[in-house]
Amino acid sequence: MMVQQVTPLKIIEEGQRLWDSDRQPAGCTHCHRTFLAHDSHIDSSCPLCRIGHLEPQALQINPAEPERMLPFRIKTEHLRSIFTQFSSGVWIKPEDFTTENLFQRTQKIYWPLWLVDSDVKGQWQMEAGFDYQVESSKEYFQDSQWRSRKIVEDRIRWEPRLGGIKYHVDNVPVPALEEHQNRQQMTGAYRLENAGPFHLDQSNDALIEAPDLPPTDAWPLAKPQVNKKLSQVCAEASGAQHSRNFSITAKYQNLNWTQFLLPMYTSYYQDDEGTPQILVINGETGEIQGPRLASQKRGWRIAAIIGGIAAVLLLLALLGFLISPIFPPASILAVFSGIFGFTAGIGALIPAIWPSQWNRKNQSPVIIKRD
Amino acid sequence: MTEHPNHETQITIEGFEQVDSLVSSVTVYAPKSKPSEEEQSRVYDCPNCGATTAYDVAGGGVACEHCGYISPVKSKTLGKIADEFEFTLETISQAERGWGIKRQGLHCNACGAELSLPQGVISTSCPYCASNQVNLTTSLEVFIQPRFLIPFKITIEQTHQLSKTWLGKGWFHPDELSASSVIRRFSGIYLPFWTFDANVTAHWKAQVGYQKTVRHYNASQKRWETRTKIEWRWENGTVPINIDDHLVTGSSSQHISHKILEQIYPYQMKDLTAYHPDYLAGWQAQAYETTLTDAWETGKQAIREAAKEACYQDIPTSHVRNFSMTADFADESWRYILLPVYLAAYKFEDKTYQIMVNGQTGLVAGQKPVAWWKIWLAIGAFLLPGLILGLIGLPLLLVGGAGILPIGAGIILFGIGIVLSIMLYNKARQSEAK
Ligand SMILES: [Zn+2]
Ligand SMILES: [Zn+2]
Ligand SMILES: [Zn+2]
Repeated sequence: MMVQQVTPLKIIEEGQRLWDSDRQPAGCTHCHRTFLAHDSHIDSSCPLCRIGHLEPQALQINPAEPERMLPFRIKTEHLRSIFTQFSSGVWIKPEDFTTENLFQRTQKIYWPLWLVDSDVKGQWQMEAGFDYQVESSKEYFQDSQWRSRKIVEDRIRWEPRLGGIKYHVDNVPVPALEEHQNRQQMTGAYRLENAGPFHLDQSNDALIEAPDLPPTDAWPLAKPQVNKKLSQVCAEASGAQHSRNFSITAKYQNLNWTQFLLPMYTSYYQDDEGTPQILVINGETGEIQGPRLASQKRGWRIAAIIGGIAAVLLLLALLGFLISPIFPPASILAVFSGIFGFTAGIGALIPAIWPSQWNRKNQSPVIIKRD
Repeated sequence: MTEHPNHETQITIEGFEQVDSLVSSVTVYAPKSKPSEEEQSRVYDCPNCGATTAYDVAGGGVACEHCGYISPVKSKTLGKIADEFEFTLETISQAERGWGIKRQGLHCNACGAELSLPQGVISTSCPYCASNQVNLTTSLEVFIQPRFLIPFKITIEQTHQLSKTWLGKGWFHPDELSASSVIRRFSGIYLPFWTFDANVTAHWKAQVGYQKTVRHYNASQKRWETRTKIEWRWENGTVPINIDDHLVTGSSSQHISHKILEQIYPYQMKDLTAYHPDYLAGWQAQAYETTLTDAWETGKQAIREAAKEACYQDIPTSHVRNFSMTADFADESWRYILLPVYLAAYKFEDKTYQIMVNGQTGLVAGQKPVAWWKIWLAIGAFLLPGLILGLIGLPLLLVGGAGILPIGAGIILFGIGIVLSIMLYNKARQSEAK
């Protein structure tokens, strides 16, 4: 299938400014993700790996301004409660894992989808589904009497339809990142119908992630989406409410690729080893996702303190026993400190064991949805 | 990129035709709707000699009596696979509208006469030119057209023989009935019927009684006694019932006796054939008078009674109280069909009696006069033994206690005689009833 690209990609030189703003192409030194960054973002740590930092670099992208965006519905002031809820489930947290830290390290990011336009000309066929209703009934017999209740049921009648189509498909969303599927899983679903036109000033305080999946590679993913849209059009043309087994032989011409930006926040905390753990928040729904780890180091420390107390108590008990022949009341002290010491000794095991058990269960990212 | 002008018009898929599209840049093709040829009025005359032709049962085709020309009917026997239709709201609202009371006009395509037909008559022969005509559009007010029928399998000649035999059966009719009754010409008519299918799930709930024998000590008699008592338990159950081709007549009971009609059931649905006007040529046919919804109401009532019967069958004992149930209908479907019936009347001693013959199976039913003197004689014979025993016992009772035996036996025999008499009387009355 030949794909005609109306909007070719262009090399944007290092330091070259885009869209009458101070945005310039930049990339992460570690994960090599690419962004359109303000000057203030240059040299800051990469919000998606928190290992590398952003450096200006040349990029091959579509230089046109994005066409549409989904605004941040979750404001920064909402984030504190989201972070508190996220971290509150962990008992012995790493010292770095605090609401305040997460809040301070928040970075706003817009990440991209392609929007494809195309002129389609071809022949289609499908099974068109038409809604209709049938009457059924339920009969009741009680106290030697029949009562009847009519029930209306909805059914679909499937009929073959075919025909020709000459149609302009507009703004079909298609992945623009290699890691799209992974990203979609991290952010959860967006309600794309809430999107509006792109405004440069609305994106001021955010990093904009650049597409790394060129249209030629994205087209195989886009075509089924375009065809899905066409199947809806053909069902509508047939006066049908449903369609299935849609197939089309068509020419797709005048493909036009623009961008659609989706909002997300990232933040992070460092675990025991100092490795950054990235949290992702959907900027529209507030769904948060990321690893939620406990601190084994702090677990050991608490265990050591309780263990120390236990040792002191057990020593006291021993002492009490030794002097009880001379001073009998000391035996009471010995018994009590013996019991407490023993209990504390066993109790010290809990903080020692708990973090590793918790982390084993919480290896995969935790999702907290909001309504 | 090269343009392909007119490529929308290149679609030539067999069996499809262009239909309206709700989107201007899309063309839509749908399967061609079947040409409704049966809705045209048809005149039956012989292509050889021009004489009037009619459907011939023995020949299985449209035949000319004049020159012997015969053409077989181009129609398929479908049997049980004949389409069934759903109770869509659309069908129901159209069916409920029913049809008007105006008489139908038919223009004779053979001689040009304007005919006036009684309500619902589908086929006729022109009184002026004697051409046989079949025209569904004459019953234009009827929304639903018959799609299937069972053709006549029994010829008029067979009908006469079958009915003679039938008249000769049974001892309490006049002996000369078979010999002397004059059967007026049998007329074959296709009568309208509805068939219904449904899957019914019946749930019942009731208190079921179980007979228990209990032993108890009778203090006054100073002994153990047993007596039975019924223990009641709440139980419930589910019974699936499959209703297949439940038949409801579409004729009004004013025109056709439902009682006699039901006696010539059943019809074998395996012979169900796609409707073709040829079958009706020269025969009478009647469109439905009972609407789909009314017929379904009748059918549903019979089906739910059958469901109730099935529920009682499901209960392990015969002791039942506080019975309640639900019958949940699903997959309901219907067919509108024509079934072959011969109608006739015969005169016997100045009274007219109705008779019907199943045009497919030859089963005969109808009214039959009763020789009442035979009935009274039989009733006398039933009652006499009891009376005699009683009469013998009475004087014996005066003499000594021995009379008690014949009197007891007499009363029992008399009782049996009464029951038999009532049964016979009813049977005789039924035989004459319309
Ligand atoms: Zn990075
Ligand atoms: Zn002829
Ligand atoms: Zn005529």
